[in-house]
Amino acid sequence: MQRSEFSITSAYTYDRRSVARWLLSHVGRYWPFALGFYLCFITAWAAYSGAQAVIGRAADVLSGPPDYAALTALTLGVLALMVTDSFSALIGSLSAETVAARVEADIRQEFYESLLAKSKAFHDRQRAGDLMARATDDTNLVANMIVPGTTLISETVLGIVVPLTFIFFTEPRLMFIPLLFVVGYILTAHRYLRRLMPVIQRQREQYGLMNAGLEETISGIEVVKASAREALERSKYLRNAQRFRDLFIEQGRIEARYLPLLLFGIALGAQFFHALWLYSIGEIGLGQVVAVIGLMNVLRFPTFISLFAFSVFQAGLAGARRILSIINAETDLDENPNGYSAPLRGEITFEHVSFSFAAHPGESPHQVLHDISFHIPAGQTVAIVGQTGSGKSALTQLVNRTYDATSGRVLIDGVDVRDWNLDALRSQIGKIEQDIFLFSRTIAENIAFGAPGATQVEIEAAARAAQAHEFISRMPDGYQTVIGERGVTLSGGQRQRIALARAFLAHPRILILDDSTSAIDSATEDEIQRAIRQAQQGRTVLLITHRLAQIRWADQILVLDRGRLVASGKHEELLRTSPHYRRIFARYEHAVPETGVVRATEGAA
Amino acid sequence: MGFLFDGLDAEGYDRKYRDRELVRRILNYFRPQASKIITAALMITATALIEALIPIFIAYSIDEIQTATSLNQVAVLAGALALIACLAWIFNLIRQTMSVKAIGEVVLAMRRDAVNAVLVRDLSFYDQFPSGKIVSRVNSDTAAFAQVMTLTMDLLSRLLLVFVLVGYLASVSWSLTLILLGLAPLIIGAALAFRAIARRVITASRRVNAEVSNHIQETVSGIGVAKTFRQEQAIYADFLDVNQKSRRVNLQTRYTFSSIFPLLNLLAAVGTALLVYLGGQAVYAGELTTGTWFLFIQGLQNFWFPLTSIASFWSQFQLGLAAGERVFALIDAEPRVVQLNRIDPGRLRGEIVFEQVDFAYKPGEPVLRQFNLHIKAGERVALVGHTGSGKSSIAKLIARFYEFQGGQIRIDGYDIRHLDLNAYRSQLGMVTQTPFLFDGTVRENIRYGRPDADDDAVLAAAHRVGHGDWLATLPHGLDTPVGERGSGLSMGQRQLVALARVLLQDPAILILDEATASIDPLTEVLIQEGLDEAMHGRTAIIIAHRLSTVQEVDRIIVLRHGTILEQGSHHQLLAAGTHYAELYNTYFRHQSLEYIEAAGRK
Repeated sequence: MQRSEFSITSAYTYDRRSVARWLLSHVGRYWPFALGFYLCFITAWAAYSGAQAVIGRAADVLSGPPDYAALTALTLGVLALMVTDSFSALIGSLSAETVAARVEADIRQEFYESLLAKSKAFHDRQRAGDLMARATDDTNLVANMIVPGTTLISETVLGIVVPLTFIFFTEPRLMFIPLLFVVGYILTAHRYLRRLMPVIQRQREQYGLMNAGLEETISGIEVVKASAREALERSKYLRNAQRFRDLFIEQGRIEARYLPLLLFGIALGAQFFHALWLYSIGEIGLGQVVAVIGLMNVLRFPTFISLFAFSVFQAGLAGARRILSIINAETDLDENPNGYSAPLRGEITFEHVSFSFAAHPGESPHQVLHDISFHIPAGQTVAIVGQTGSGKSALTQLVNRTYDATSGRVLIDGVDVRDWNLDALRSQIGKIEQDIFLFSRTIAENIAFGAPGATQVEIEAAARAAQAHEFISRMPDGYQTVIGERGVTLSGGQRQRIALARAFLAHPRILILDDSTSAIDSATEDEIQRAIRQAQQGRTVLLITHRLAQIRWADQILVLDRGRLVASGKHEELLRTSPHYRRIFARYEHAVPETGVVRATEGAA
Repeated sequence: MGFLFDGLDAEGYDRKYRDRELVRRILNYFRPQASKIITAALMITATALIEALIPIFIAYSIDEIQTATSLNQVAVLAGALALIACLAWIFNLIRQTMSVKAIGEVVLAMRRDAVNAVLVRDLSFYDQFPSGKIVSRVNSDTAAFAQVMTLTMDLLSRLLLVFVLVGYLASVSWSLTLILLGLAPLIIGAALAFRAIARRVITASRRVNAEVSNHIQETVSGIGVAKTFRQEQAIYADFLDVNQKSRRVNLQTRYTFSSIFPLLNLLAAVGTALLVYLGGQAVYAGELTTGTWFLFIQGLQNFWFPLTSIASFWSQFQLGLAAGERVFALIDAEPRVVQLNRIDPGRLRGEIVFEQVDFAYKPGEPVLRQFNLHIKAGERVALVGHTGSGKSSIAKLIARFYEFQGGQIRIDGYDIRHLDLNAYRSQLGMVTQTPFLFDGTVRENIRYGRPDADDDAVLAAAHRVGHGDWLATLPHGLDTPVGERGSGLSMGQRQLVALARVLLQDPAILILDEATASIDPLTEVLIQEGLDEAMHGRTAIIIAHRLSTVQEVDRIIVLRHGTILEQGSHHQLLAAGTHYAELYNTYFRHQSLEYIEAAGRK
């Protein structure tokens, strides 16, 4: 049983044991349409081939004495068969398209449901852009795999089998050469694809390289020009463009040598010889010769179309594999529904915590945190300081159980986080990410996102606390302003304050604030400072921040260096004891105008 | 038959061009490939002639065998048919090989010219066009042009085939040929009508699909937030709506597109039936043999696809020409920065003089007016002022990224317009707010400004920035890959690399547009130390965002609307209490220790 954080009771169950089974179980939902497609297309190809046979009969009638009744009947026969062909093809196509469009929507829905069921840890690791590509591009590829991929492959098969059957009924001996052709065709087409595919692939990659290279040169043009390196960039691009030209020509050469077409020409000649020979010894009539040549020409279509169908099919298969791999990905943490559940006070303890993490599946894990121990009493504000990559974010991710520690224990209110009910734990821990995501809805809806029943009064109170009320009120539609619409864009500081308001409404007991921006001007800085001070009231706050004022006045400061806790304590204490910490403030010692404050700091340092 | 669908999505790109000029330019590119093109043209003709022979030959044979039936003759007939097919294949092979070679070379030449043109443009050009558009002109437009050329060749050979065949058929029976030709307007009309419908469907579906796609993007990206607040059910409901809408739109588009060929085939059915009956009549009347009757029926099929292609060809062809024109426009644009001479100044001291300089990015919106400034060799100068005060423009003019309209800029006494830009710029170091790194390792990026530097020199430069402490935070030290545009490093690390790059380059003049955002305090300390080191012993012009840098320099220049309001040291200007004091309160106050200390007291 897969671990899940979200489940839909009415969900249709698909067979996820392999890509093929999965796709079949999707298409199987609409089997009447699929069946309709096949029935219609068998009819269509039979009618079309039948028309060739009837034309052959007409040739017989024409080579005899004038028989207008027969000619009229045969003409109507041709017309009826070809009209049947067109209509069957139309209905068959519409059936197939119905399957394709429905399966596309179903797959996307299944994919989305599975995303909801995945853990927070899973989503933190996945790039949104990548999931997005799978939800749109890949589902589209799978739909195209059904139409035109599978339908054209089916048509290729029908376009070979049906005419051959007609030839068989016209004259079994005339099957010989077409059969040889089909075998030859399969072999040469296979070889052709094996040669062509890698070239196309390389060409596509080379085009990407050429694009990326030029894009890079142009984006960095200031550096290029300032370093006088135009010549180097020019020759770099030319090398790429030449390689692309070579592959372009290579592809053209391979395509020009499309052997099945040559085989078809030879087969046509050979079949012609065979038919004429049988005619000359009186074994078959002229009508049969004409019918067989007409049927041979029907074979021309599959010779061309199967290649295109094949590549579409392959692309769809790859897309399906990518989607299914996400759907089938195990989620790492379980809900622990029977775990400890209680109102949270906000005390955090780390006991010899180490944590290793592989950025990508398959990579060897990299140790991010080494043997970290500290204690935070409920209600304190703790600033976490360290260079990029020192493990600040990882540390906070262990608190809300985005990840589990590799060794050691993380305790909240004295209880190991792994013993907490996940829902109880997470719903009482708020987190404001560095990249703040707001929905394209009204500001009010965004603030109330975590508390759908909130009244306008509550929303405004939260916005006031977050220092967001003022700028929201200045917007044209106030709280009803839709984010992202009509050019409504928010600055980083504004997004942050809306996120704070959103967090306030959810009343978390522990708030994790990953705030790595810094304000350009002092007025904005003042407001953000006030908002964060509000956030600190009555809860434990973990701050990853670049704001020295926040660090300076935290109840406790944790200094991290390459995954190790090198110092912790209050500002004054750290200035005395930690060289790392002192460095941050060192430049202020001599640079600030003489005031009492400065003298006090200098004394401390 | 995919032709019918080609170019539907891009159509409606309206652009006027002078045909003659355009054709001349295109021909210029094809001239070096003349022998290949002529061979290809010959082969097109040969292929068309010989492929038309196949159905004609079959028809002839059918008539022939009704009278003479010796095995020998049959073998000759069939052998000839196979030979014709082989020849057609070989001619086509030569044709395709030649044309693909010619087109490959033409496209390469166009790309070369386009890139050469792009690289000599000054920065005003890059401001005007986003990088994506330029890349698309150089690569995609040339590719689109090539595609249309290939398409033209393919279509020409097919049309020629149709003409040859129709010509032959007309010589056999005028009346039946007229029936065949009578179908042509119907086919083309139906194809055109379909394209009109399809374009409407596509436009509508593209609009809805973009919306749907945005929604899906948002609901997928929103999962993370929804999980934090346990609101999965709410966004799931949103998603279901959007997904249903997407299904409806897709179904509509798919239905439209899959209807066309069956419907066109209905026309073919009518045509075939007409030929069977009327042709049969002609056979009975002795005007036609059974073989030619069959030829007409087969001819209809040969006739079919090229005609549906014609319907879409013209707009395709226009698109290709428009793409070609965009490339030529790129090549022809005049650069605005023009050097009058190529003086190599030797090692610069770094004295910079602005004399009565007028400068505007756009006519009528002057940024600098009669601007005067003298920066002594080795002086450290900070430029401060609100957005739009002209501080960045001064730096960009020194780098000769833009042309100025009046006055003079002198570097070590040389007029900047007379310097050899390569020689001059190699003594100019720039570090910008968001330093740009090239995909590669940290080492390669540091070496960028001085390609001949050895590993020791690179290491030494890296160590001069913040004592090299920062190298330890990189997983593979100097060999750490920086990722695309440096995305593998934090912004602070990128700045450190850029500083090391400049130190290795050892420029006489250093221009710093320093950043404030997104750098952790510890890295900021390292950057500050790196800056101190970088500014040492050379002329430095700093567009300052950081209080600590402003306090360090020899002279602060306060700018407003392109003029100097006041200048002096930090303490002098602060004491004067004028414009600088206001700037200080707006931009620098929150970086001061006073502010930090006061924060806890409120």
